[in-house]
Amino acid sequence: MIAQTYEEKRAAFLDKIEHGGKIEADDWMPDDYRQQLIKLISMHGMSEIMGALPEKEWVPKAPTLRRKLAIMAKVQDEMGHGQLLLRVAEDLLAPLGKNREDLLEDLFTGRLKFHNVFHMEAPTWADAGVIGWLVDGAAIITQTMSLDTSYAPYARALYRICAEEKFHAQHGESIVLALAEGTPEQRAMLQESVTRWWPALLMFFGPPEDGKISSNQQQNMAYKIRSQTNEELRQAFFDKYVQRIFHLGLTLPDPTIRYDKTEGKWHYQQPDWNEFKQIVTGHGPCSVSRLDLRKLSYQQAQWVRDALLNNTQQAI
Amino acid sequence: MSEQTNSKQTFDVYEVFSQRTHTSSFAHQFSLLAPNHEVAMTMARENFLRRDAVVNIWVVKRDDIYVCPPEERQYLERLDNKAYRETKGYGDLQSKWRAHRERYEQNQTNNQ
Repeated sequence: MIAQTYEEKRAAFLDKIEHGGKIEADDWMPDDYRQQLIKLISMHGMSEIMGALPEKEWVPKAPTLRRKLAIMAKVQDEMGHGQLLLRVAEDLLAPLGKNREDLLEDLFTGRLKFHNVFHMEAPTWADAGVIGWLVDGAAIITQTMSLDTSYAPYARALYRICAEEKFHAQHGESIVLALAEGTPEQRAMLQESVTRWWPALLMFFGPPEDGKISSNQQQNMAYKIRSQTNEELRQAFFDKYVQRIFHLGLTLPDPTIRYDKTEGKWHYQQPDWNEFKQIVTGHGPCSVSRLDLRKLSYQQAQWVRDALLNNTQQAI
Repeated sequence: MSEQTNSKQTFDVYEVFSQRTHTSSFAHQFSLLAPNHEVAMTMARENFLRRDAVVNIWVVKRDDIYVCPPEERQYLERLDNKAYRETKGYGDLQSKWRAHRERYEQNQTNNQ
């Protein structure tokens, strides 16, 4: 058999995914396909782990034992999702001679980003509910789109993750409904939380394309890593949640938001995309403190990893 | 030249797993005896995968699998106290959402 050139292999690869074929970790893949996957999946994995931090703050303060058990279960699930995704990323990194330690190093130095929502504060119990309902709701929309990704190991991780995210959304809905049906103070707390999270929720999907899709998105769509644009996903989020927010008698901090039936799309006020850039580059309200906490926890657990690997240290 | 065979040499047990689609889990098929991984793979296809199409196969030497010891299996049983992890823990949500929607729509009509 004649050795194929890189371009021939790439053409065969594209033909395969064009026809719905799936790629496994040990299949041949173009270098930039691997790079795009590593970037996306490691960012997703680290976001799961960083996402557990704002919620874990509410574990000791949850109002009832049942709520405490439920939010503990959710935090545990999120760390589990991080583990699934980091395993997928590690298998992609292995041929490059890199591993999980490199990913953590990249997180600590700011080279590896995590979702904007996890740079934000969660000052009240209503935030615990809104995170579960709307932040997880937003994540469900992007993750459901990715179930059909051309990279099979990512799809398999996402099937497990989406199944659990449904409970997280219900856990959030349950908290939100209890507050919506509660005292005037509880309703006010819920309204404040929705108002606080709205810009971050819009930012979650990334900047709109305005007719020109970024090279990054374009490449991921050509490689069938994703199938919808940022704006399409944000519109799907509005479809699912805006009416429900109104049904609870809540308002949004955007008086202009409306659905245009003839256009079949939502018109809304853009969040401050410069602020978005600031947040994801590590200048959000909690960016530094959450990263410091992650770093501290990693350092403090070093002795556990050493003990498991039998890397004994000698006292001098 | 000796015609004597080494009668002490035995086959190993291999467990066979296969995957129906790229998004499904690997499912255990059965086990077989083989002298090495390559032969086990060939025999796995002949023995267990003659009909259903699969996208991938694993053969694993049974000795390499650490199995939950029989006396520990009794602790695998689940206690029925984790409703917050299950759908049944959230059975009231749908009716609540419906009530809120109806109240909202009623208010909209009244305001018109």
